[in-house]
Amino acid sequence: MIACDIAIIGGGIIGCAIARELSRYSPQTLVVEAANDIACGTTKANGGLIHSGYDPAPGTMKSKVNARGNKLYSAWSKELGFEFKRTGSMVLAFTQSDCAHLQTLLENGRANGVDGLEIIGPERIHELEPQASPDAIQALYCPHTGIVDPFDVAISAAENAAANGVEFLLNAPARSIEQQNDTFILHTPKGDISAKWLINAAGCYADVISDMAGGEHFEIGWRQGNLLVLDKNVTAKSIMPIYPVPTPTTKGVVVMGTVHGNILIGSTAIMREKGDLSCYAADIEELMAGATKLVPSLDVRSSIRQFAGGRAVITDTNDFFIGQSKLQHRLFQAAGIQSPGIASAPAIAEYMVECLRNAGVPLPQNPNFNPIRHAPEDFDIASIEHQDELIQGDPAWGRIVCRCETVPEAEIVAAIHRTPGATSVEGVKRRCRAGMGRCQSGFCQSRVVDILSRELGIAPARVLLENPGSEIVLGPVKGDD
Amino acid sequence: MNEITYDVVVIGGGPAGMAAALKAADAGASTAIVERNAQLGGILRQCIHPGFGLTYFKEELTGPEYAQRFIDRVEDSPIKVYLGSMVLSIHHDDESGTSDVVFMSETGMVTLTAHAVVLAMGCRERTRSEIKIPGSRPAGVFTAGLAQRYINIENLKPGSRFVILGSGDIGLIMARRLALEGFEVEGVYELMPYANGLHRNVKNCLEDFGIPLHLSTTVTRVIGKNRVEAVEVSQVDEQLHPIEGTQHTIPCDALLLSVGLIPENEVSAAAGVKLNPRTRGAVVDESLETTVPGIFSCGNVLHVHDLADNVTREAERAGAAAAAYAAGTLAATSESVPINAGGIASYVVPARLTRGEAAKLFFRVRRPVTRAHVRITVDGATALEGKPRSFIPSIMESFPLPAKLAAAAKESIEISVIEEDDDHE
Repeated sequence: MIACDIAIIGGGIIGCAIARELSRYSPQTLVVEAANDIACGTTKANGGLIHSGYDPAPGTMKSKVNARGNKLYSAWSKELGFEFKRTGSMVLAFTQSDCAHLQTLLENGRANGVDGLEIIGPERIHELEPQASPDAIQALYCPHTGIVDPFDVAISAAENAAANGVEFLLNAPARSIEQQNDTFILHTPKGDISAKWLINAAGCYADVISDMAGGEHFEIGWRQGNLLVLDKNVTAKSIMPIYPVPTPTTKGVVVMGTVHGNILIGSTAIMREKGDLSCYAADIEELMAGATKLVPSLDVRSSIRQFAGGRAVITDTNDFFIGQSKLQHRLFQAAGIQSPGIASAPAIAEYMVECLRNAGVPLPQNPNFNPIRHAPEDFDIASIEHQDELIQGDPAWGRIVCRCETVPEAEIVAAIHRTPGATSVEGVKRRCRAGMGRCQSGFCQSRVVDILSRELGIAPARVLLENPGSEIVLGPVKGDD
Repeated sequence: MNEITYDVVVIGGGPAGMAAALKAADAGASTAIVERNAQLGGILRQCIHPGFGLTYFKEELTGPEYAQRFIDRVEDSPIKVYLGSMVLSIHHDDESGTSDVVFMSETGMVTLTAHAVVLAMGCRERTRSEIKIPGSRPAGVFTAGLAQRYINIENLKPGSRFVILGSGDIGLIMARRLALEGFEVEGVYELMPYANGLHRNVKNCLEDFGIPLHLSTTVTRVIGKNRVEAVEVSQVDEQLHPIEGTQHTIPCDALLLSVGLIPENEVSAAAGVKLNPRTRGAVVDESLETTVPGIFSCGNVLHVHDLADNVTREAERAGAAAAAYAAGTLAATSESVPINAGGIASYVVPARLTRGEAAKLFFRVRRPVTRAHVRITVDGATALEGKPRSFIPSIMESFPLPAKLAAAAKESIEISVIEEDDDHE
């Protein structure tokens, strides 16, 4: 039996952000994650836009945490050492009815406390983003919108939480939850866990967890989206995030630059069977058409990757559900965290701690709390002098593994040995970008498998792409393991 | 950080890089090869099948044997070889006329100053994402070359029951390789109505092993949560769109892709080298010089070749030209004359003449034709026509541009492959 004070179910960006906020205090906190890595559900499969908060209807939970989350990102990125760029954004209007929508968004934004919003005309649009469609007649400009690598945020928060004493248990899906006196017992394949308080940050499965723990009953639907990444282009500049006018269920197909210099198009929004991570030809068509409407010069054929994710939508309310459960007072919900979940994550974490405190959960200060997590060395963006220094310190910095993203062996070894570290090829990719480039690991995959096998002390045939069952090779062609 | 000067720096130590360096060194140029792997040989190291050297050495060799002939020669030459060295950038300095080549290696960051540079980085494989195959994204989807590396270099088994998409030469060779190892090969599926690889490979690798080739068929969905469980294939219409109702699910645990190669020119483009959108290789002249003075290109980084032997020959010309450039003996350039491809020729290399010299024009056709002929047009007038014959896309064709025509051309040259009507026969 593993005992802790607070168990957070789910190691996505919400679970990791809450874990990081809770690590300011002394209760023993454990993050219990069903998958083989943190940040590998919805967190890894979205655009990484830090929306500013003009979109949610005033009065909703989304409206409370989105604008605040956006503001917190500046401090979070500084403390946690992840890349965050405040790029600003535009919603383009092509028709008079679009223009009326812009007005609604502007009013929403003001009601939600988002300042600096402006409705601008074609001249200003092109000054701000020359690649935006010349057919746009108006735009809502927001200076606060930003971009991040969403999994990088979650991983940074998790590493900081771990450094401050939070434990992580992976491959531990909760099969059932028992209540004994004032304690929850979680039954997982990794053993039983006892916890006094439970935080439900289980993403698309938060409905199942709530039912298991005796909380409110709600249904979470899977609003699935396909996304498309374009190659880094040595000549094209990065693009300010450009949105179309939103619909009630989606902000529409957005074109944006990423913090690493790719262009990302995302995402479609279609209710699909829970867990469906497939890409669909019709979605890809929709993305390419939507993107070309916003940015006609975009070479959508230069796509190097398509992927899909599911937004966890509480179907009744379409809103976030954050706070103490009314049915089970030792359960705290962070459920239905669909878009703008990434943008809201720091504020959700902050709000969750407040809910715990209000509910009487003792939260003495952690005297050893250190808010700083240093970004790992990134060879690709280092100066040539620093690159040389790194190699002089350890020749593994001079051994190239991923040539598209210029990732040397030492960077991969470091990603494996971080806490929580990478244990899979995709885990390595999320932590240091090996395999994320235009050849999509055609060159480096066998080398990354080799390094994982060596560093983890397992046979190559046990190295996973992502989750158990995703072994890349089946064994030796000839001879024994 | 080290800084060293050479007459010729060759980037890449595969068949192209070694041949270019050997020719440059023969001509008396101080020459270096910068190779990212720990050994010379490039992709040939994993091509353990025979079929190499038939035209260059007049004997049949395996890939490693073919490579070894050049490795031995490089070792006996004064060429300096930098192994485990990955070039990160090339900067051409207009004032000095030299180029700085920056690479990383276990010894540190190194800058080589070159009077001439030969680009010989080869190509990469097109991926699943580039052709946008729908479906899930489990383990078990490999480019054919990656699977070849796992089996031939790493002794690792990437699957047990395979579907191969694409009938390029690597796909065909891998089909046979898998069959020889006793793995199941369910079939090779090809989007086009014809095979993309060489005829000899269709015969030796598929027919002789009873592996079916399904033309006008493609993979329309990958199925499987963690590992590939099956793929869905569909027939395609004349516009290459999947035909609804022809879907067919094939259980397998691996999908290999042999769907094309892309010259690896990111470093070249960043150095200011103009690329041809058709070949994705550099725009070169009759000396294989790119649009950046003193930077030459050859082999698969210039355009995807059919045979290693042809890579070697082209690279030898680039190496000789680079040495001449470094020595100041390469003819001065004059007004550039563009060379265009027409008819069913999809591209031509070189894409321009800058010295008005004779050249061999290399091209491929877009689709197989039973009867067509080459026509060379100079400044809008037909100057030369070839004999009618058949053409197929898998063969890299060539046609000579005689010195007289090259010298006479003022505005433009076009090489067209003109399909002849059946009733002309």
